[in-house]
Amino acid sequence: MKALLLSVIAVLTLAISPLSLAQASAQSSGGSEPLNVGMSGRYFPFTFVEKDQLKGFEVDVMNAIAEELGREVNYHTAAFSGLFGMLESGRVDTVANQITITEDRQKKYVFTQPYVYDGAQVVTKKGNDEVSNVEDLKGKTVAVNLGSNFEALLRDLPYADQIDIRTYESNLEQDTALGRVDAFVMDRISASQIIKEKPLPLELAGPTFSTIRNAYPFPDTEEGRALRDDVDAAIDALREKGTLKKISESWFGTDITRP
Amino acid sequence: MQVLDITYMLELVPILLQYLPLTLEMATLGMVLALVLAGLLAVVRVLKIPVINHFTILFISFFRGTPLLVQLFLFYYGLPQIFSSLTAIDGITATVMGLTMHFSAYMAESIRAAIVGVDRSQTEAALSIGMTNAQLMRRIVLPQATRIAVPTLMNYFIDMIKATSLAFTLGVTELMGATQKEAAGSFLYFEAFIVAAVMYWIVVELLSWLQRFLEIRLNRAYSR
Repeated sequence: MKALLLSVIAVLTLAISPLSLAQASAQSSGGSEPLNVGMSGRYFPFTFVEKDQLKGFEVDVMNAIAEELGREVNYHTAAFSGLFGMLESGRVDTVANQITITEDRQKKYVFTQPYVYDGAQVVTKKGNDEVSNVEDLKGKTVAVNLGSNFEALLRDLPYADQIDIRTYESNLEQDTALGRVDAFVMDRISASQIIKEKPLPLELAGPTFSTIRNAYPFPDTEEGRALRDDVDAAIDALREKGTLKKISESWFGTDITRP
Repeated sequence: MQVLDITYMLELVPILLQYLPLTLEMATLGMVLALVLAGLLAVVRVLKIPVINHFTILFISFFRGTPLLVQLFLFYYGLPQIFSSLTAIDGITATVMGLTMHFSAYMAESIRAAIVGVDRSQTEAALSIGMTNAQLMRRIVLPQATRIAVPTLMNYFIDMIKATSLAFTLGVTELMGATQKEAAGSFLYFEAFIVAAVMYWIVVELLSWLQRFLEIRLNRAYSR
């Protein structure tokens, strides 16, 4: 019995020590005021992980912005459905996850200028000739990311009631490739990139059907607006220096940071 | 037919293994705290301590009656909107708190059943030879209740280990969160998730082994 108790205590101390260490280090770094940025880490090629390394267009752009501001960045990765909660509860300063400016979001947040211009794109399994544009989605099942603006875009279509919209937390590309849904809707840039570089049998179906402008959201508070203005100025500076264009071309081969 | 990318899977093992300790830490800490809380809740329920008993019933009803994910979101994203100081709670702490409260509600009932399950005649016998209530609990009831409760409590611990996979919604990258991110970068879903599955499976298998050992140890007095 005594041995059992001792082992429980040992396990407990082991369990607590890394936790308290993590907390202590989080507190001690508070002096330099790093920028806290939320992202999903699951949106290739904007934010993704390869061999434990956080990478992507969003990471490169945010690093450049932070350098411009002379601040450190702390990245907080969470499931997409948790990201706005983190912003809302003040755990992150902004979200860098291709957040599209929408009317609803503008009621709650203040946005910087757009740093990515893109379009909504229908993607199908390779060889699916039934869907070649957005009108063909009538009577079909379509996957979108939960809480994304693509869900709202689909629901705003005049024939939305004829579309079976399925919301996904992740892996909708895989479900489309498996044939469980007829199509998914995403931004054109990442869809093209996935098709080009990844082993899933997918293809773009027709032209983009809506223009989207992506920017950084900040809480609509005095502090949030001040930080928004700083980041906005940093984006201006990076545009002027050609840094944005350079980062975009390194990931996509074209400049997506201009309309 | 696509062939499994074995090289990728082997590369993934050491990467994902780094996240296993955090998964186990959250589950172990949650389990220890849940045991303490569940023990207190069970005692309140068994002794029917006035007033507190009603709070206990409400507590158990709420935490058994709502999904863990809802509770985690409520603590982590909901409450700080009302009490801004709660923003200081990090994702790991919030997960451990959530696991503790959620599972203690279940465990309290299973501990209560185990205590009640010890035959009443033993209590009467112990009291008749002049044992105090504390002695009765410590020497007669609890050792036997422990034996009855171990299999179900172990089940909850196993469940808790797997429940930590929800922590990624609170921004904690544990084993499942790390796997999801790797899969999102490589699009090799089958490979990534099978590596994670095998890791959880091995951990649970080791625990089942520990459970068998504990059961044999605690049954020693009964099997001859």
